[in-house]
Amino acid sequence: MAHDAPGRVHLVDAQRVLGLFAQGLSGRYLHLRPIDALKGQFRPEGVTTDGASIYLPESVAEFASPRHNLGLYRIAVLHQLGYYETGTFDFSFDAACARLPSLPPERPVTREVGWAPEGARALVPAPDLDRFFAVWDAPVLMRRLFMTLEDLRIDRTMLRRYPGARADLERVMAHALERRPEPPAGSLPAALFEGLVRYTLGADAAALCASDVSGRLRPMLDAARALDRDGADVYDSAAAAVHCYRLMAGATADEVADALAAPEAAGAERRPGGTEAGPDGQGEPRPFDGDAVATVPVDFRGEVQPGLVQRRLRAAGTVGASDGATGRTPDADAADADRDEAERRTAEVDRLALRRAFGETAAGDRSYLVDEWDFQQRVYLKGWCRVHEHRLRGDDTDFIAGVRERYALQAQQVKRQFRMIRPESLQRVRRVSDGEELELDGVIEAVIDRRAGHATDEHVYTRRDRGLRDVAAAFLVDLSASTDYPVPEPDQAPSPAAPPPAPATAPDDGDFLWGMWPAAGNPQSEAPRRRVIDVEREALALMCEALESLGDRYAVYGFSGYGRENVEIHVAKEFRDRLTSRTWAALAAMKPRRSTRMGPAIRHALARLAGQDARMKVLIVVSDGFPEDTDYGPDRNDHEYGIQDTARALQEAAAAGVSTFCVTVDRSGHDYLRRMCPDQRYMVIDEVDELPRALSKVYRALTA
Amino acid sequence: MNPPSVPDRGQAHRLNSEPWYLPLGDEVEVFEAAYAARLPVLLKGPTGCGKTRFVEHMAWRLYRQQDTPRRALETPLMTVACHEDLTATDLVGRFLLSGDETVWVDGPLTRAVRSGAICYLDEVVEARKDTTVVVHALTDHRRLLPIEKTGELLDAHPDFLLVISYNPGYQSVLKDLKPSTRQRFVSLEFDYPDVATEATIIAHESGVDAATAERLALIGQKVRNLREHGFEEGVSTRLLIYTAQLVVGGIAPRRACDVAIARAVTDDPGVQEAVAEIVDVLLP
Repeated sequence: MAHDAPGRVHLVDAQRVLGLFAQGLSGRYLHLRPIDALKGQFRPEGVTTDGASIYLPESVAEFASPRHNLGLYRIAVLHQLGYYETGTFDFSFDAACARLPSLPPERPVTREVGWAPEGARALVPAPDLDRFFAVWDAPVLMRRLFMTLEDLRIDRTMLRRYPGARADLERVMAHALERRPEPPAGSLPAALFEGLVRYTLGADAAALCASDVSGRLRPMLDAARALDRDGADVYDSAAAAVHCYRLMAGATADEVADALAAPEAAGAERRPGGTEAGPDGQGEPRPFDGDAVATVPVDFRGEVQPGLVQRRLRAAGTVGASDGATGRTPDADAADADRDEAERRTAEVDRLALRRAFGETAAGDRSYLVDEWDFQQRVYLKGWCRVHEHRLRGDDTDFIAGVRERYALQAQQVKRQFRMIRPESLQRVRRVSDGEELELDGVIEAVIDRRAGHATDEHVYTRRDRGLRDVAAAFLVDLSASTDYPVPEPDQAPSPAAPPPAPATAPDDGDFLWGMWPAAGNPQSEAPRRRVIDVEREALALMCEALESLGDRYAVYGFSGYGRENVEIHVAKEFRDRLTSRTWAALAAMKPRRSTRMGPAIRHALARLAGQDARMKVLIVVSDGFPEDTDYGPDRNDHEYGIQDTARALQEAAAAGVSTFCVTVDRSGHDYLRRMCPDQRYMVIDEVDELPRALSKVYRALTA
Repeated sequence: MNPPSVPDRGQAHRLNSEPWYLPLGDEVEVFEAAYAARLPVLLKGPTGCGKTRFVEHMAWRLYRQQDTPRRALETPLMTVACHEDLTATDLVGRFLLSGDETVWVDGPLTRAVRSGAICYLDEVVEARKDTTVVVHALTDHRRLLPIEKTGELLDAHPDFLLVISYNPGYQSVLKDLKPSTRQRFVSLEFDYPDVATEATIIAHESGVDAATAERLALIGQKVRNLREHGFEEGVSTRLLIYTAQLVVGGIAPRRACDVAIARAVTDDPGVQEAVAEIVDVLLP
């Protein structure tokens, strides 16, 4: 990155603190991303928000001091939060009609305002703010006017609520005012608009009006000034916007005359309210090409499409058909069904509009920036990958019953093996004030002390405490697309390892003598095609059960993704979660997804482990292939980059005191695992069905 | 600006002056009704939100404000801060060596049971499991305290009440109140108050001016939004009062928030910085 300006601040460095700052102030989580991440048709000139994220410049060097540049980021974030905090997006068209009785009648929303595809616009209601903009001949101009006035209202409100931000805000406003370009000559509406913008940035009203020949600027600024008070709401901004629009629309009729007439004569003739489009709302504004009025946005306020944000917020409240929601109860009302159907359709159209505007933006519940190691340049690419955390949710709470039945035998063995891990010896703790036995040395000393006339303490007992295990284990499960492949049936594969249990020759196989054989008919041949993902899920489920009996803390994360912007972590169980039916449902909801960007996934799991206070930390990666992703390295077909990055991540784990182990069902795993994993900490499994037993063996070896 | 109400520390446990408490709901009435029926009470809530002060206040109301024989009781409230080495012996009592003899000395729980005071076990889940036996015996209708070491079976004084507290957000899976224990108690939930109420509390307890108290309460509310980032319980009302006391003592507000809030609740430098930023924009 260019370090031309010494005070330059990069988003990657400031993002974490800014994100926490935003979350603390607003109580809502918003991802912070660079503006360049937007790949849709909407390319804002500056900061923007889409209802789930705030988009900020990738770096800021407007000022000489890094503190001031950070202040600019802070103001930009505060401003975007202001929309949410002051109710911009709560705008309701019906409420507006009630507050502004002189509103012209409603008209259909056009594409450039609404973003919805052509056919859909008739089917579902447009967002309320778009409906308001569509009422006017120049809806884009109205939107810009409305947002400029909202910007003023928000800046003033945030200043009242957050007095400590005054210095930063005044500096940023002054800086933005300095850099305002001159409006194009000969366009009075553009000049009026610019005058309004400058006023919102703190320019002196009298000076602005002095250079305005039309006399229309003053009433516009008066309308704007009314927004600088406690309790001004979004409808006040709308009212002011209507007022300003009418003043500007009236101006076009006089524009030509203005350009030719002398300034004094022009000022005397043009009285506000003297034309057809009076500010008092008498009659309709004459159609004018307001959308062509040139306007320049203010950098730190950016450009927000409020209708799109309303779509996002609206869609977030509805579950789409593609989300795998639970089915409707059979006896639901027909009216309810219709309403739900209408809501679903609206949500679908909203999502289409949002995709068109913003491009494909994955948004998990949370997102984090994670570094990547470039082995060729031998540098860390800071904040190169964005990890999205999604919570897995499902309905299949019966999943665990099926697992227990299928693996009845193995589950028994695993549990027995884990029981052997428990420390059998009890630690003796001496000289305590309470215990089962007297400590002879302590008693003798106490008697001696008493004879000598000293005070004695009562620590004359011993106690035996059960040694406590203090382990935290994270499991990373590969959810790449290849886990969708079927597991070869045992009779098809020419493998010596047979699923049925060995006869009772092993010393710890007491259960065999009592007839704990698997069910007579081979269940595998009757069940639907089993895939690698199924075995992975089941193995993890067995581990969870066994770990509960040990008392170790553990977390289960599935990982996949597509590209460095979209690394996915699917959380089945967090450390702090209890093992409940929701956990089983979450495990059952693990599905094959896409790529295998292992390095960032490992780093994210390490960050989670870092938050755990345990003497022993363990990370086990369960995979079915080598690390690969669409942009994991310069050459998509060369896996060396991914292998090196993963190796580096595993080294980072070792440096942080975390023991790692990679278990893979990829039979060609030896080739790369040998180089990727430190100290031979890996295992290649021949038969996928061996995974549960192998996992428990690995766990025992690591933590016993 | 009210002078801060610092009680006379030497005699605080006698509860001769009112421990100030601002009710958030009907908790005072509920506790009084529970006491009238001698139902054990469980106080649930995060740290530093007023549970202990509430118990002190109620003990004062019930023992000092009502015209009953228990008014004469010197120590109406025995508080035990439970920790992981606290055993039943610590609560019930033990033999001590005194001169040439071994002498039985009652623990705080036994003293309360005998004299008819309220015994308040704070964070009872932290204590060792053998304390459960004692709690169970006292919280069913028999109200008995078995003292194994002396063989005594002590009937509780009619005025005795057991109160425990518990912080549900903090416990790990291994340390939790068993259902059989929980179901012996009437539960009162506590949480941090809303901004206006918290500002009143901060102003009263520290003597700071109302405007600063309001800012601190607002800071508390915002910082609690970062709960999951290591502020497991959010910043407590107690810490906000400390901050206000520092301000009264002449420390600049931003610095007071730094030492009493940001650095107190987290060691993560990123989170500390974010808290400092939040404090910075909220303070004038």
